[in-house]
Amino acid sequence: MSKSLMGKYLFVLMLALFLVLAACGGDDEGAEDPSDDGSEGTEETEEQKEEEEEEAVDPEDQIYDIDDFSTAVSNDGDPIDGGSLNYGLVSDTVFEGTLNFNFYGGTPDFEILQWIDEALLSMDENYTYTQDGAATFEADQENNSITFTIRDDVQWHDGEELTAEDWVFSYEVIADPEYTGVRYGTAGFTLIEGIEQYREGETDSIPGIEIHDEKSFTINYERLTPSLLTGGVWTYALPKHIFGDIPVAEMEESDAVRQEPIGIGPFMVDSIVPGESVSLVKNENYWRGEPNLDEVTVRVINPSVVVQELETGGVDLVSSFPVDQYPENSQMENVEFLGQIDMAYTYIGFKLGDWDEEASKVNYMPDEMKMGDVELRRAMWYAVDNDTVGERFYNGLRWAGTTLIAPSHPDYHDDSIEVPTFEPEEAERILDEAGYEDVTGDGFRETPDGEELVINFASMSGGDVAEPIANYYVQSWQNVGLNVQLLDGRLHEFNSFYDRVGNGGNDDPDVDIYMGAWSVGSDVDPSGLYGSNAMFNFPRYESEENDRLLEEGISEEAFDVEYRQEVYSEWQEFMVEEIPVFPTLYRSELRPANLRVTNYNIEQGSGVYLHELGVTQEEPVVAE
Amino acid sequence: MWKFIVRRLIITMPQLILLSLIVFILASMMPGDALTGQIDPNISSEAIEEQREKLGWNNPWYVQYSDWVVGVAQGDFGQSYRFKMPVTDLIWDRMINTFWLSLISVFFIYALGIPMGIISGRWNDKLVDQIITGYTYLGFATPIFIFALVTLWVFGFHLGWFPTGGSVAPGLESGSMEYILSKIHHLLLPGLSIALIGLVGTVQYLRSEIVDTKQKDFIITARAKGAPEQRVYNRHIFRNSVLPIAAFFGYEITMLISGSIFVEQIYSYPGMGALFLESIVLRDYSVVTALVLLFGLAAILGALLSDIILSIVDPRIRIK
Repeated sequence: MSKSLMGKYLFVLMLALFLVLAACGGDDEGAEDPSDDGSEGTEETEEQKEEEEEEAVDPEDQIYDIDDFSTAVSNDGDPIDGGSLNYGLVSDTVFEGTLNFNFYGGTPDFEILQWIDEALLSMDENYTYTQDGAATFEADQENNSITFTIRDDVQWHDGEELTAEDWVFSYEVIADPEYTGVRYGTAGFTLIEGIEQYREGETDSIPGIEIHDEKSFTINYERLTPSLLTGGVWTYALPKHIFGDIPVAEMEESDAVRQEPIGIGPFMVDSIVPGESVSLVKNENYWRGEPNLDEVTVRVINPSVVVQELETGGVDLVSSFPVDQYPENSQMENVEFLGQIDMAYTYIGFKLGDWDEEASKVNYMPDEMKMGDVELRRAMWYAVDNDTVGERFYNGLRWAGTTLIAPSHPDYHDDSIEVPTFEPEEAERILDEAGYEDVTGDGFRETPDGEELVINFASMSGGDVAEPIANYYVQSWQNVGLNVQLLDGRLHEFNSFYDRVGNGGNDDPDVDIYMGAWSVGSDVDPSGLYGSNAMFNFPRYESEENDRLLEEGISEEAFDVEYRQEVYSEWQEFMVEEIPVFPTLYRSELRPANLRVTNYNIEQGSGVYLHELGVTQEEPVVAE
Repeated sequence: MWKFIVRRLIITMPQLILLSLIVFILASMMPGDALTGQIDPNISSEAIEEQREKLGWNNPWYVQYSDWVVGVAQGDFGQSYRFKMPVTDLIWDRMINTFWLSLISVFFIYALGIPMGIISGRWNDKLVDQIITGYTYLGFATPIFIFALVTLWVFGFHLGWFPTGGSVAPGLESGSMEYILSKIHHLLLPGLSIALIGLVGTVQYLRSEIVDTKQKDFIITARAKGAPEQRVYNRHIFRNSVLPIAAFFGYEITMLISGSIFVEQIYSYPGMGALFLESIVLRDYSVVTALVLLFGLAAILGALLSDIILSIVDPRIRIK
């Protein structure tokens, strides 16, 4: 018996060892990489030197700087004729398959759409429309109108000409009361003259839109705002010859959206495996020129296997890459990591009121809220060390934010503004001066009136670092004597977090401060987030100066970019003084590309388009 | 027996109604809906509110429930907000995928589990039994999501024998030979991952039954009569030991449609399990309620099927 037992143990041990060894395999490779790189590196000598110096540092402890990343691939070889490319759509859900810009809702669908359709107006690096797209525009400030002209050679995938009517048709569909998507309601629609009449069914077409001929039309607006030219104008057409006969309410579920989607982009849909993959072939008649690639396959891959897919060459490009996986994979030898500043920021918000459902605006009441004192808020900004958070938790790929316009909008982000940085002494001094003192001797400060001050901090769950980061902030504030506690003692799931913070208008009075994040749109105008009648103004902050600045930013004078910059600089500075929220971290976005990929640039307005994208060899480069 | 089946089916109805009621109430208590995720400054909150009103999501839950019941009575489970398509069509697509995956895993479970159980029962306490039992202990202890990741890494990425995600290679013509082969190729690894963990129960049940039956009087009688060992095992022992396995069979059928959440997620396989999880996370309630109802129905029918199978294989059991 004892012998057989022994055998059993041995076997279990062996199997366990097998599993452990198999699991270690991945790490081993990672550890070997640096030395490989040193002997192979033929790129730039400077970089190589740097790498050698850093070899002693564990890549997982290294601090990276987004400025060191390029936005374009360094492979400048000539693309081979034909060739096919695999694009990994990184998502833990399937794609919904609503493959039309006018109806889609989820990001996965967008990732597919960008291959098959495109906006008729191009954007530059500041997300302003340019004249380089499939259509051009002319704004007439006297008459508050914009005239659009479509280029002659733009065709739908089925060979039909793209006409002005197609573009106007998308306006008519989105503004239709039967329309089932969420695109209506932005300035690009609501400002059109007579659009309300159309919505109420009084007219068959939108009175403010005049079609001149096959290729041009004019939209008359009630007033012009610069937002229209930074993403406000709806720039996606809808083929009338296909959708014209379908009732608006049934369009999004029609085959023309789900099975045979159509666009004007460089690639056409060949076949769709619902939820999994889309095979695309080149559109030879693409107006910018024939694409280099013959085929593109877009395939959903789970975020947990994205590294393996890249290493084995299963995908050449991916839609996103989890930044927290970068440090241990920074030495992956068959891909090049591109990076840029992400259009997003993380922030701490202070609840200063609630939502007035009836008036549909914020109800700012600082005197009744715990966080109503701006000195308290300022002290809390001084008390936290955001740069360290970025370095410790994100290896420098996130860094301390300064103002509420992220540097992803380089022309509008004002980096000259001085903002509080980590100075706990300063925080304590401000609190002392403002009268927040510890009178009861329990180690925590009381309010100037001598009442106990417990601040409830709501933070979202998700990701490995969510909890340590939340705890770090709580501790930092406790270090300066503020009794901050996690709301309910735990983190909150996305939906319930935003529910309690105020999405939907039922602000939970228990929430005093919260940590959220915004990804910002192409238009720099922040009134959708901080305007006094914006539901997403979760801090519920309002002031005349704020309203004035936000209004100026989208006024007619703001068509002058310099003027607009001044206004938004002033607004950023004003927000640093008032602190309804303060940005904690700016973020970066990383995109790995297989070494065979050429003509690829992730920067907005780079002038490198998808039809130029190519590969320099038939097979993807595979990691050894 | 027909009486029994009909009676069971009649009891099923109130069970399902209760289930749907509970699901509906729980869903209404869950924070957020399918539009909550649209926290995007590019979308106006009025547009979202308008959609909510239009879709009836602002109604109290009992109004939504009665609307839903009326629809279900007519075979209409509503519209998936996320996929913008009828729930029935959506579930049907996914069910086919899950059906094939489950079929292949059930096949592997029995094709591997039964021989392993017989071997380890027949030669119990021999080395071969110890290896198999050792494996089953390990199988019990290994969570499926770890095991699936390990198999994916080893056989999918490292050795490259199997595709690493999806249910079929992109770009193949549906129905062609290539398409079918690609489907099978995609099924093998996830199917095996489920089976290699899933078979441990079968093996252990079968083993202990065989060990137990081996010592029964009628086996000794059979041996005394001079029946060859092979015959003793195949005819006398096996047939008596397979009972608990047969009882389980009905429940395995349930798995055919409910799928495996973990494996489907890891292999990006669009089946019912993955659909269920995504629909909860993204608050696509019409899909969630339809799925819960379907899973409930499957569980109840599976139990019924088990009872029926049991009464067929074991004449001693009479259903009254």
